[in-house]
Amino acid sequence: MDIGIDIGGTYTDGVVMQDNEVISYAKIPTGQDITVSIRQVLEQIVSGINKKKVDRLVLSTTLITNLLAQERKFPVGLILLPGPGVNPRTLRIKGKSIIIRGAIDYRGRIIETLDEQEVKKAVEQLLLEGIEYIGVACKFCQRNPLLEEEIVKIIKEDYPQIKCLASNQVHGLLNWVRRANGTVYQLMVATEYQFFIDQINKTLEQYDLTCPVFILKADGGTIPLGISAQHPLEGIFSGPTASMLGGLAAGGEDLTTVVMDIGGTTTDLGLILKGVPLQAAKGAIINTYPIPSRALAVSSLALGGDTSLNITNKKVCLGKRLGCAYCLGGPHLTITDALVYLGLSEIGDISLAKAKMESWAYQHDLVPQKLAEEALELFLDALEEKLENIFRQWEEEPAYRVWQLLSAKVDRPRTIVCIGGPAKDLGELWGEKKGWNVVIPQYASVANAIGTALAKTTLRLDFFADTQQKIYSTNIGGVHGRVTNISKLEGARDFSKHLFQEIRQKWNIIDEEVEIIYEEGFNIIRGWETAGKIFQIGLQTPPGLKGYMSKGGEI
Amino acid sequence: MNKTGLIFFPAFDWAISPTHPEREERLLYTRDQIFEEGILDNPRITEYKPRLADLEDIERVHFCVPDVVSQTTNAHLISVGSALKLGDALKNGEIKNGFAMVRPPGHHAMRVVHGNRGFCNINNEAILVEYLRSKYGIRRIAIVDTDVHHGDGTQDIFYHDPDILFISMHQDGRTIFPGTGFVDEAGGPGAYLKTINIPLPTGMTDDGFLKVWREIIKPALDIFQPELIINSAGQDNHFTDPLANMKVTANGYAKLTEELKPDLAVLEGGYAVETALPYVNLAILLALAGEDYSCVIEPQRHKADLRQARDVSLTIDKLIAYWQDRLNQATPDKESLFGKDRRYKRQRSIFYDTDHILEKQLETVEYCPDCLGLYQVSSSAPRELGKGYSIRGISIPLYACNSCQERAYEYWERIKVNNIRKVEYDVLYLQDKKNNRYLKESR
Repeated sequence: MDIGIDIGGTYTDGVVMQDNEVISYAKIPTGQDITVSIRQVLEQIVSGINKKKVDRLVLSTTLITNLLAQERKFPVGLILLPGPGVNPRTLRIKGKSIIIRGAIDYRGRIIETLDEQEVKKAVEQLLLEGIEYIGVACKFCQRNPLLEEEIVKIIKEDYPQIKCLASNQVHGLLNWVRRANGTVYQLMVATEYQFFIDQINKTLEQYDLTCPVFILKADGGTIPLGISAQHPLEGIFSGPTASMLGGLAAGGEDLTTVVMDIGGTTTDLGLILKGVPLQAAKGAIINTYPIPSRALAVSSLALGGDTSLNITNKKVCLGKRLGCAYCLGGPHLTITDALVYLGLSEIGDISLAKAKMESWAYQHDLVPQKLAEEALELFLDALEEKLENIFRQWEEEPAYRVWQLLSAKVDRPRTIVCIGGPAKDLGELWGEKKGWNVVIPQYASVANAIGTALAKTTLRLDFFADTQQKIYSTNIGGVHGRVTNISKLEGARDFSKHLFQEIRQKWNIIDEEVEIIYEEGFNIIRGWETAGKIFQIGLQTPPGLKGYMSKGGEI
Repeated sequence: MNKTGLIFFPAFDWAISPTHPEREERLLYTRDQIFEEGILDNPRITEYKPRLADLEDIERVHFCVPDVVSQTTNAHLISVGSALKLGDALKNGEIKNGFAMVRPPGHHAMRVVHGNRGFCNINNEAILVEYLRSKYGIRRIAIVDTDVHHGDGTQDIFYHDPDILFISMHQDGRTIFPGTGFVDEAGGPGAYLKTINIPLPTGMTDDGFLKVWREIIKPALDIFQPELIINSAGQDNHFTDPLANMKVTANGYAKLTEELKPDLAVLEGGYAVETALPYVNLAILLALAGEDYSCVIEPQRHKADLRQARDVSLTIDKLIAYWQDRLNQATPDKESLFGKDRRYKRQRSIFYDTDHILEKQLETVEYCPDCLGLYQVSSSAPRELGKGYSIRGISIPLYACNSCQERAYEYWERIKVNNIRKVEYDVLYLQDKKNNRYLKESR
């Protein structure tokens, strides 16, 4: 059995799944203290089940997103080692930063050494500003962490009161701006996140749940709770991710589809291609600051079921959310009311929607039927435009190799999985107008929890080795080092597989296959002689879900 | 629109041969530097996906022997396709300028292609120009070639076309491949002074580089008034390039780019894969995007002697004086340049260094008062190894007059019949740019 709990901003959903069937579920409003919400959901869903038979529990939580949105009280400082390149003063880097000497190049060679006095001066300047958390970010630190390590050592020895973190421990992605921001954000949330982990462990103990616990990652995989302490940013955007997985669980394996999750104020849209949710090409962005975490390519439309209807110049237009739908006792007519008025939805009290729509329309000399239809038309137009953007972004993803450009393309989907609020009704309207296939999951109200419960523990390793410089690096923070005795691709492949295996054991991934996503070797030619090789190998556990809802997934 | 379009296509799975300068590794460190900078997250830069060019796009420019497929790999079609895609994005108003950071390069590929010359098979910039002209009706385009090698392929293709201003600044041909690009190569009789060659002395620094731009190229552009500027952005004037002997820095290239303001830049040569390309590519991209490039300082710079010798400065000053004088003189009229027999003829040998081919070629251009006139070429290239070909081609200009166009088809019928009677050529071509129609007859 698998338990999935999705702690959203408004609701917390929980399900217990056995053989891809929901055996119990609950939905409660999310409270102030999310551990209380988790407890309340567990109370309802695990009461009748044998806890010994629970294989794992997966949590998807807005905790990190919330912590980051609050812009934490303690300031974080950054020491930057940019070396040659873009003017570091023009970069979008989070937090107070000080630029110092010291640089590494793309091969991991030190091209400028540190000045210890300058490091100390920088730390003291940050201290004067009341900063107690310092991140260190050096370009190409994943190829050679030495300068970052030296700075961390200086800070630890001379300023033990400061908590510091080097960007090479955060992520190995080739993008130091994202790594620097990730370092700042990780410092910001680390303490509270550790507290959360402790609370969860206590709670589970109370419920006699001894199974391994995982956190849903923004890329649709999961990470063990304990290990997530080192990678807390992986847990961002859990809500949209969970709903994409929920859509996938209902749609079934190998499906190519759009998933649409309509909330009160926004609509999340994502793509699933042959059973694999599409990843954002460049990674996640928090509060306009790019970070290194991978995330699903979910786009939001600033329209939802509670989007209000307005009239300007005798034409209907869409406004902000002013409350829930009129037919549910809200203050104003909404998209949902338009659906209800036209007999396309059974939400709420139709007589309320009808009376209001008519009086409002007549007041403006308009035909209520037309007004409602035009409002829905506006919604569908916005949806169409957004989908076009999403498709174009997907189709325009850069390719750096001939084979990538020539490999067969997946056609644009013509199926839509609809989750949340009036998604079913709007989805059906869309399907009817555009000739799309519409899928409405049976447990649409707890689709997020289902997606969470069925998420796999996934691991992706982007391995890079330079045999001349004798270094290797990866996308995972802290996983880099020296490499000797590799000269051929086979050797590099074995080395990377071994590394993958080690991480996999730590991550508790037992029964998954390893897939090679790409592998390539470059000859380093200097003066017409081969001076070494550079290898790039991508390994991953196959993406997708642990299981898919059997026939009951669709209604 | 204030965006800079970028297509980065390093062709990590394509090489001329494993140890050739044009190998998979060439843009690997450029990838590292550009990705690591986080510059692709900059909202002023939009990355596009490359695409393949159509065969027709290539036939519009080249006589590929015996056909396009034999002279190109998919990597070539993607490299040029990337330039075309940015051209579309520019004309659709999505971007204010664009940089095709692509390989393989193309500026040594001439109109007739028997094989690879100077690492090039097909000419990326020429194909881009003809594509833009035929699709969007742009008429006047300038190509500024800042590669250290003479852009002899681009020169050859537009040598008789007065609507294309081709300017190449390069290391003097007496000291470097391809050994051409002297001031007397100044365009055919119908396009006199629409080819400007600036052969530069070895040891030129940023100072000389920028001075030549400001005092020859910029005035020439001002006179020509192009609708569009394309930059053949080779990077081998860099002080660390292993195949050339110049002293230009990444900042020098960026400064020139900033002032030239090309609408589209296409990467050409540059083979200091570690010491130059990561920095020069980055600096050019930043300059195009209007970002600060002053911190792109190569680590080798403090060790290098980047002073310009006095005799180098003097030679550059002489060149500037020469060109300023020549550009200010009145252009002789076309009819007199064509001479009494109203026909321009040129016989040449062309050496293909990469593929070891020696081509013998005869070109003729007919005088026409109303258009560029018909262009014809016959060319043969016996090979030591493998099959050599002999070809004949006719080209109808994009803005040809009706009578030239009709005559071209008469010639075409005649040479086809003649070639059946007495086989002289392996392949015959009719390139009708006006109707976008490309005919070919193989033996």
